[in-house]
Amino acid sequence: MDSGIAMVGQSGAGVAAADRSPAAWAPVAERVALYLRALGIEDALHRERLLMRIQQRWEARVIVEDPVEAGIEEAYALLDAWLCTELDITGEVDALFTARAAVLSGAVPNWSARFAGVAGESIAAQVRAAGVQPEPEPAPLDMEPSTINLCCHDLGRRITGALRVLVGHESAAAPPRTEQPQ
Amino acid sequence: MTSESRIGVMGHHYRRILFFLLVLLTTLGAMSLLSVAFQDGGTRPHELVMLGLYAILTLWISASFWTATIGFAMLVTGRDHYAIANADTRAAGAAPSGPFKTALVMPVYNEDPVRVFAGLRAMWQSLAETGQQDGFEVFVVSDTRDPDIWVEEELLWRRWAKEMGHPARVFYRNRVENTSRKSGNIADFCRRWGGRYRYMIVLDADSIMAGETLVEMVARMERNPKVALIQVPPVPVNRSSLFSRMLQFAGSLYGRMFTAGLSYWQLGTSNFWGHNAIIRVKPFADHCGLPKLPGREPFGGEILSHDFVEAALLRRAGWRVWLAYDLGGSYEEIPPTLIDYAKRDRRWCQGNLQHSRLVFARGFKPLSRIHFAMGVMSYMASPLWLIFLVVTGVAAYFQSLVEPVYFFGNNILPVWPETYTVEMTTVLWVTLTMLFLPKILALVLLAAKPALSRQFGGLVRATLSVLTESLFSVLLAPVLMLFQSKFVLAILLRQNVGWPAQQRGDHQTGFAEAFGTHLSHTLIAVVVGFLSYRYVPSFFWWFTPVLAGLALSIPVSMITSRVWLGQLARRVGIFLTPEESAQPRVLQLLEQNLAHAGTPLCTTATGGDLWYRAVVDPCAYALHASMLPDETPNRRRRHYLEGLIFQLQDEGLGSLKPNEKRALVSHRDGLFELHTLLWAAAQPPSAGQIAGAAASSGAIHQ
Repeated sequence: MDSGIAMVGQSGAGVAAADRSPAAWAPVAERVALYLRALGIEDALHRERLLMRIQQRWEARVIVEDPVEAGIEEAYALLDAWLCTELDITGEVDALFTARAAVLSGAVPNWSARFAGVAGESIAAQVRAAGVQPEPEPAPLDMEPSTINLCCHDLGRRITGALRVLVGHESAAAPPRTEQPQ
Repeated sequence: MTSESRIGVMGHHYRRILFFLLVLLTTLGAMSLLSVAFQDGGTRPHELVMLGLYAILTLWISASFWTATIGFAMLVTGRDHYAIANADTRAAGAAPSGPFKTALVMPVYNEDPVRVFAGLRAMWQSLAETGQQDGFEVFVVSDTRDPDIWVEEELLWRRWAKEMGHPARVFYRNRVENTSRKSGNIADFCRRWGGRYRYMIVLDADSIMAGETLVEMVARMERNPKVALIQVPPVPVNRSSLFSRMLQFAGSLYGRMFTAGLSYWQLGTSNFWGHNAIIRVKPFADHCGLPKLPGREPFGGEILSHDFVEAALLRRAGWRVWLAYDLGGSYEEIPPTLIDYAKRDRRWCQGNLQHSRLVFARGFKPLSRIHFAMGVMSYMASPLWLIFLVVTGVAAYFQSLVEPVYFFGNNILPVWPETYTVEMTTVLWVTLTMLFLPKILALVLLAAKPALSRQFGGLVRATLSVLTESLFSVLLAPVLMLFQSKFVLAILLRQNVGWPAQQRGDHQTGFAEAFGTHLSHTLIAVVVGFLSYRYVPSFFWWFTPVLAGLALSIPVSMITSRVWLGQLARRVGIFLTPEESAQPRVLQLLEQNLAHAGTPLCTTATGGDLWYRAVVDPCAYALHASMLPDETPNRRRRHYLEGLIFQLQDEGLGSLKPNEKRALVSHRDGLFELHTLLWAAAQPPSAGQIAGAAASSGAIHQ
């Protein structure tokens, strides 16, 4: 979606949009840290590591309307990038969303350590196992509307048409109405 | 006789001939009695009207009477050569081979998600106890529009799916547009995943079925490749109010006779009741796509009561539709109060009346036409009875104005006017017999089957229950007659009914609700009672049962809705049903699941409404986003969503209507935008503070 909805200053952080200084980052970091915690990253060390990487991404952004919102977006983008790499699913949107739902539901233990880069072992198998597809693979069947020919539908009009023909008011019965039983 | 010939068409035509002959002869007999009374001095126009109405109504009640009587005979003797339970016609058709799956399809629309998932879990647990769950999958097909309920459904699905593990056996989808309501919902399921399943067992939000029943339904379909649908009659259970316990008792005791009787004459052209039925998916998809009827609502447009039509379409295509009346383990929950019952009737009434257009549609089997006509009559009977009563009252009034003349011409001996009291009383007794004899037959059935009798609390308690139920039936019948007459009139005046969700749980009718709903009934009773007492006193006394029901409608409606009265009746063994005497395992499981429903996933820091959680709580947000279709909204939609977000920022959450909330969380992009926006707000979304604050004070970002 167009980010025209992200209004300048709405975070209340009072930071100019283009300011990339460490001073500008401080209030953003506070909120992003809170967000990381809401994601389920309880370990302070993990959050600290991730904040550093998010700050780098945040500073590299070219256009930002709201710095805090940009920080949150970068936190999420970092999570997505990590999941794509971890699971090797770049470009597979649905797989990414499923994986994200799996880790954020708390079904994958210690995922934040791996995310923060402090655990060496891949957790791809656990993430895949925790992912649940809401819908199975499509197995389509054709189901076209059946025809139901109503008796006496439009009967009055048909009788009138026939009578008109009989009395010579029309050369042929009136054409059928456009609305027909399907 | 081979199984094939038993299930075939030729061998059992005599059943239908017998049934319709009995119905016809009864109707003609009752009419002849009435016409004898009318023919004195020539038949007048209002008498012709009465005769016509009486013919239709007698046809209706005698069909019901003979169905129950035949059902009684079948249950007492225990003999039914043609039952689907005994049939095996595999040799007759090309039986499909190979492994297959059956879907338990649960269509929902703004229902209580906790009850829906508790019921599904109970069915699954019951299936697991049979050890045959591998051939089944659960599919919740949601048409829910309420955003909070939508999110709760997702969270409950996710928790269950997580517990079930791999391979996935429980699926969920929420339709973007709920086109064509329930039939469209099922059709969408067939179009997208129908090829995955050989059978689907269609459920309702309040229905529940035992595992053994589900397994047996599949087995019967496998044994009969020409059968496309088997309906298992659902028995009403689980409600506690006096009203619902009366209905449960009646449904359980009389219902078994009626369903056996229906199966006797309907055989392979039975009907579909919308749920608790197994359907062969391929023929259903091939033949049951529903067209829109020409013309506008209420008689045109989408077919509302789809089930009858689907059964008729399957029969038209040569497939068989059976009623497995002998199969237990099929349950449903019913409205807890008279007013809720009437509301449900309001929804069903329009769909059934719409079938009047299909009675003479080309190509349907004669019995399918009778199903349509019976569906129409189940609601038209009320206004016809009302007209009959009014005409009778008017006729009685005019009769009272006529001065008897005893002396004609120069005759010195009086000529006494001929009276037809015997004929008229016989007509009344015939009618009452047809209405009440099935209840007495039900008691005879219990007397003949002591084991069954014990399940109903013993013969004495069952008799008391039948008497009490009959008394309340007499009181409630006129109220329902007026309700249904009003609904029919509203529909004939082309007032649409909408599609409101049902209120299913136990709750009680307060004085204000009862007064508002039944005041008109009470006033009618007072006015009609006064007029008839003043001008036709002899008619007044005949009319008192009808007047009493209407006059007492407010207290009766309130009293019957009381849960404590229902529970008291249960304690003393009144209205006891087999399901209450010994609770079936699947209902026990449902009760346990409801007691331990717990909280859905993602009950973390944010709090607030579930919709709000799906926006701000990263866990709920990620889950909800993962279940949305991967599509980008068009420009127009984007502008609409942006407008809603501005509204949210400026006026707070409280300013959004449910459909606007739903729109905001229906696209991944918009949802992400909202998620980050709220997390960037001046106050972080923790512990529900923003939800509460924003809802009450307005702006989110200031």
